[in-house]
Amino acid sequence: MRRSDKTMSLANTASVKTEPSVLARLFARQELALLVCLLLVLVFFSVTVENFFSVRNMTNVLGQASLALTAGIGCAIVFISGEVDISIGSLLATIALPLIIIMNDTNSLLLGVSAALLFGLIIGVVNGYLTAYAGINSLIVTLGTMFIMRGGVYLYTGQRAIPDNASLDSFIALSDGRLFNIIPYSAVIAIVLLVAFGYMMQHRPFGRQIYAVGGNQEVARLAGYDVRRVKFICFIISSLLATVAGIILAARVGSAQHTAGLNFEFQVVAATVLGGVSLAGGIGSLTGMALGVLILQFLSNGLRGLGLPTEWQLVITGMIIIAAVAFDEAKRRRANGG
Amino acid sequence: MSVDFLHPGEGAAIEKDVPALELRGIDKRFPGVVALDNVDFTLEPGKIHALMGENGAGKSTLIKIMAGVYGKDAGTIRMRGREVDIKSPRDSLKEGIKVVFQEIALISEFTVAENIFLEGYPTGKTGSIDWKKIRADSAALFNRIGFNVDPAARTGSLPVSQQQMVEIARALAHEARVVVMDEPTSSLTPNEVSLLFTVIRRLASLGIAVVYVSHKLDEVFEIADTVTVLRDGRHISTKPVGEHTNDTLIQDMIGRRIDNLFPRQRGAAGSKIALSVEKLSTAKKLDDVSFEARAGEVLGFFGLMGAGRTELAKAIVGYDPITAGTISVDGQRLTPHDTRTGVRLGIGLLTEDRKSEGLMGELPVYQNASLASLGAFARMGFVDTAKEHRAVQDYVDRFRIKTPSLFQQVKNLSGGNQQKVLISRWLMRGLKVIVVDEPTRGIDVGAKSEIFALIDRLAGEGLAVVMMTSEMPELLGLADRIAVMCEGRLTAIMSRDEATQEKILNAAIG
Repeated sequence: MRRSDKTMSLANTASVKTEPSVLARLFARQELALLVCLLLVLVFFSVTVENFFSVRNMTNVLGQASLALTAGIGCAIVFISGEVDISIGSLLATIALPLIIIMNDTNSLLLGVSAALLFGLIIGVVNGYLTAYAGINSLIVTLGTMFIMRGGVYLYTGQRAIPDNASLDSFIALSDGRLFNIIPYSAVIAIVLLVAFGYMMQHRPFGRQIYAVGGNQEVARLAGYDVRRVKFICFIISSLLATVAGIILAARVGSAQHTAGLNFEFQVVAATVLGGVSLAGGIGSLTGMALGVLILQFLSNGLRGLGLPTEWQLVITGMIIIAAVAFDEAKRRRANGG
Repeated sequence: MSVDFLHPGEGAAIEKDVPALELRGIDKRFPGVVALDNVDFTLEPGKIHALMGENGAGKSTLIKIMAGVYGKDAGTIRMRGREVDIKSPRDSLKEGIKVVFQEIALISEFTVAENIFLEGYPTGKTGSIDWKKIRADSAALFNRIGFNVDPAARTGSLPVSQQQMVEIARALAHEARVVVMDEPTSSLTPNEVSLLFTVIRRLASLGIAVVYVSHKLDEVFEIADTVTVLRDGRHISTKPVGEHTNDTLIQDMIGRRIDNLFPRQRGAAGSKIALSVEKLSTAKKLDDVSFEARAGEVLGFFGLMGAGRTELAKAIVGYDPITAGTISVDGQRLTPHDTRTGVRLGIGLLTEDRKSEGLMGELPVYQNASLASLGAFARMGFVDTAKEHRAVQDYVDRFRIKTPSLFQQVKNLSGGNQQKVLISRWLMRGLKVIVVDEPTRGIDVGAKSEIFALIDRLAGEGLAVVMMTSEMPELLGLADRIAVMCEGRLTAIMSRDEATQEKILNAAIG
């Protein structure tokens, strides 16, 4: 028996409460608070730092943010599924090896990128299998693969950079090319991925399954979901997106560096958490994550403009993250009336 | 043919003579326990079949096998005569078996509508979720059932009774042949219960086989066509409900007769005031509540849903903050107002929500029991585990807690035995006042009388027992005095002798 259009006629007799509009829902959630924070950061530095509010600086920052935005999508998706993935920083350095080596050998961007994606896929399968099917804690699994990959890169390269000798135009364009001469291609890639995955998370059954699995694994299982498969796929998504970020980074530095992406995972985790994505799973959105990335990126750019040393940027970033999560927690507690 | 509650009439041709679901010779073993031993269970389409039995009788295991949560060790499952292999919840749902578990199984961050369609979202041509249809269908479903729940509300923000209704509605959102309800009325108001019964009868009239699991005999007599009783993992009887009386049903369930559910052993209460509450108010609920409880007395609090019983229980033990008033235990003020001080003065709460506020499910029995009294077992800052184990073993023996060992994870115990572990926790600490909130929620008849006997004994040993309950027989059977609440206020206190159901209900309505 199939569902028919008769259902709609039933609905007409029901007192259908109209769902709040997209805008209203956005306002009710923390995305608005984050947006306000971002605007405050922009206004503050526009006033205090010369040339901060210029097309050039804005688009530069966007380009810098594209790595964290791209990898952050995967990070947030894994968080929402109730797991963590901290192997992404090492992955950035690792996939640069097949990418650069194959490109140097074949002069083909397509082959290089394919090799890198294949490598990323393998790492995602390993992380996902060990977490979802072997049942090992994801923090431990990805901590392990993080060390293994970084160690492997050090061993393979002998701690020397492998330069990109092919110098393909299309590859270099990833680092300094701009769409309409304005928006860096890397940012375009990040935005396209954000929109696509953002849509998936909110409007595709699989996206909602991820939220359900992270929200309550048992409930998801009882509703007929294959919880392990959902988590497995989340890890693959995360590794593939980190691979994309790694390709952009390799283009930017023009080589495979053994130190590439060092501490990158923590920058991404910081931005994701600032963006309201809960480590406990089931809560948060890619929009929030993106706003988190932009806030931290513009903050760092602005503070540098003020002449503040990097050390201070770290201190301030740390304080902001704790304050943001504390604020969030207080709000949640008030909402739950305790 | 199956039946979809949203589209009645479309699945008209139900073959009446073929069982909707037939379980034959089902065996299920867990380490050390035979949970089900050669159990048969047959469901006729369009009939309401009550499944009853004590704690540990095997009801939950049987339900979980139907739901695909557990696999069976032996036996066959047939859907309308066709043998099926149910290995996961997904398989079970595909066969049209919808189980409404007692524990709320909803994603609290999702909207009600989204939870309704969790099992499978309606999608448009592109495979994206059709939100409009989800909202409209949910609203239509609630409208048809007569449940008043807002489909756009965030599920976690709803009271438990409404969440329960969402659960029930969800079972009907997709095509169903068998609907299993595990104690669906445990947190519903009387009005909602009668609504639910209407819904259940309608399901049956559509040809759906309904399994109704309940501990409430009166509900079973009201709603069921057939009753199957399990005991100790074995099938005891399957009879039309008309062939049963209260007595025969209880006899089947426990294998012996219980003449009196509330065997009072204790003497009269003393005169010493153990707990004194004056002009207590909280921000959200309680309004100027004053009462006293004497040592050796059971003071029962009755109230309808939302009357403030749980809030009162949590406030007087120092768990929830108060805005005005004083609480004294044995003449000593409960200041600062926190549970640490409460426990020091000798007042503790036996929570209604064992799972999230009472037990640490993953931890062993002994650690759950000794939690509040670790200090007593400490030697130079280290817990003397031998002493701890001896003390817990003592309670396990005294209360006849059924557990394979002290090291069993407490989540594997039955509800009644879990409750006993929690009572041990407080007795070990040496309490003067124990506040028990719905002490028999989710506990079966046989175990209930044990819990009653235990509460009776606590009072007999000189504790003041403050008991929050929504069950009239429990109240009238156990309490020395009865206090009634309505919307956060205390509306009456009466002795048991002067109390009648009518007086109590009048006071509860306000």
